[in-house]
Amino acid sequence: MAEEPVLRTDELNKTYWNGPEKTVALDGINLEIRKGELLAVYGPSGSGKTTLLFLLGGFDKPTSGRILLDGIEISNMDEYRLSRIRRSNVGFVFQNYNLVEDLSVQENVSLTMMFEGKTEKEMKERTAELLDKVGLVGKERHRPSQLSAGEQQRVAIARALANRPRLVLMDEPTGNLDQDNSRAIMQLVTNIIRADGVTFIIATHNLEIVQETPSRLFLKAGQIATDLISHS
Amino acid sequence: MTLDSDEALAAGVVPAQLHSLLNYSMITGVMITSNQTGILALGKTLSATIGKGAGDPVQLNGVIYSVSGVYLTNSWMDYSVIIPHVVAQQMIGMVNGTSMIVATAQDSRNVDNVIGQIRTLMPTVEAFRSSETPSKVSPIFASLESIASDITAIVTLGAVLGIMNSNLNNLRERMRAFAIFKATGATYNQIIKLVLYESLLLGTLGTLIGLGISYAVLQFISIPIVQNVSVAIILVPSTFLYAALLAFSVSFLASIYPALKIARVRPQEVFRFG
Repeated sequence: MAEEPVLRTDELNKTYWNGPEKTVALDGINLEIRKGELLAVYGPSGSGKTTLLFLLGGFDKPTSGRILLDGIEISNMDEYRLSRIRRSNVGFVFQNYNLVEDLSVQENVSLTMMFEGKTEKEMKERTAELLDKVGLVGKERHRPSQLSAGEQQRVAIARALANRPRLVLMDEPTGNLDQDNSRAIMQLVTNIIRADGVTFIIATHNLEIVQETPSRLFLKAGQIATDLISHS
Repeated sequence: MTLDSDEALAAGVVPAQLHSLLNYSMITGVMITSNQTGILALGKTLSATIGKGAGDPVQLNGVIYSVSGVYLTNSWMDYSVIIPHVVAQQMIGMVNGTSMIVATAQDSRNVDNVIGQIRTLMPTVEAFRSSETPSKVSPIFASLESIASDITAIVTLGAVLGIMNSNLNNLRERMRAFAIFKATGATYNQIIKLVLYESLLLGTLGTLIGLGISYAVLQFISIPIVQNVSVAIILVPSTFLYAALLAFSVSFLASIYPALKIARVRPQEVFRFG
C-alpha cells in the first residue's frame, strides 16, 4: 500500500478582494508530496508561490479547496489549532531569515520549543544538536547581526527543524545569498532529507536549484503550468 | 492649642482607657498614666517638629508641662499632644463636659452601622471615623485630602492612557518580532501572556523605583495642618501597599489593549508588507 502523502491539496483556490477588484492568487492547485521529498515551486513574481507556501504553512486560509497535512485537513482549522500546526508539524524558512534581533542564536532556535512547552534541558540539548547539524557550533551566543547571511539562514533552518516537523517550507531561501552560500544551503537541505526524512517545499527564483530538483511545480498566474525545464 | 510658639492638636484622654482607644508604642519615656496635671505626651512627628522629647518642658497654652514620653501611632495622632481629659476639659472651659467621645467597635465591620445609629439618635452630634478626624479638625487638611484624591484620579487616568500609548508604540516597533513568534507557533494567548508579563515586570521595576523616589522626596515635604503648624507626611506600610497595588493595576490595565492588539498580528502581512 502506498504511503500516505505528507501533504495534499485539492482544488486549492485563493482570491483576494480589494473593494470590487478581484485578484486570483491561486487557482485550482492540486499537489501531493511524500515523506523525504523535495519539491521546488518556481515561477515569475506574482505567480502565487509565496501565497501557496503561506496556505500550506497554515498562515492563511484558502478561499476554497482543501489542504491535508498527514491526512488531517488544516484548511478549516481555527487560529489556535493552526498555531499548534505551525509549531509542531511545519517549519518555515523565510527569504530574509526573520530571526529575532534581540535574541541569541541559541534563543532563536529554541523559540518554537519554548512555545511548545519543552523544558530548558530539552531545548538546550536539541539546540546543540541542531547547531551541530547546520555547522554553527560555537556561535550559540552570537546575535543575528553578528552572523553572515549564510549563517543566519542556517539558524533559520535550525529553528524550523526544532520541533522535528514532517514538512519544512522555504520561501526564497537563497534569495539573499551568493552562489556558494546557496549551494551550501541546498546541500544542507539534502543532508537533512537523507538523515531525517523531512519533506521540503522550496519556493524559488533560483533556476540552478530548480534544475537540480527532480520534483518541481511551475506556477503561472496562480495556476500550475507545464514545467519549462527539461530534466538534466 | 498653642504648644511653645506653635499650634498643635491636643487630645484629652482618660489614660486608663488609652490602650483601648489607640494603638501606639512609646519611642522614649512613658505615656501619661493618671489625670494629674503638668504632664503630657507628644506624638513622634510633633516632637520632631518642636524639637522636644521626654523630660523636656513645653508650654501648652502658656502653662509649663513636662513631656512624659514620645509615642508613635503611624497615624495623624503622631502630630498631636495627649493630655489627661480633665486637664483638657479645664483648658476649654468644659469642666465635667464632653466635646468628643471616642468609641471602639469590637468588629470593624459594624463601624458604619454604629455611626449611622448615632446620627439618627443624635442629629446635632457629628459622628465620623477616627481616620476622618484630621479633615474634620482642619479645613486645610480636608482641602488637601480632596485635592489629593482628585490628583490621584487624574494622574491614574493619565498614567493608564500614557502607558497604553507608550506600550502600543513600543509593540508596533517590535511588530516583526511578534510576527516571528506567531509564525513559529506562538498562540494568541501566549502572545498576550508575553506582553502582560513584560508589562508587569516593567511595572514592578517602575513601582519600586517610584516608591523609593517618593519615600525620599516626602522626607522633605510638610503639610500645614493648622495655622503655623506644618507636619511631615507619615509613610506607613499600607501607604506603600496601596501605592504598589495602584501602580500594578495601572501597568496591567495599560497593557491589556496593546496585548490584545498585538496578539492579532498576521505574520504573512508583516513579512510581506512590513
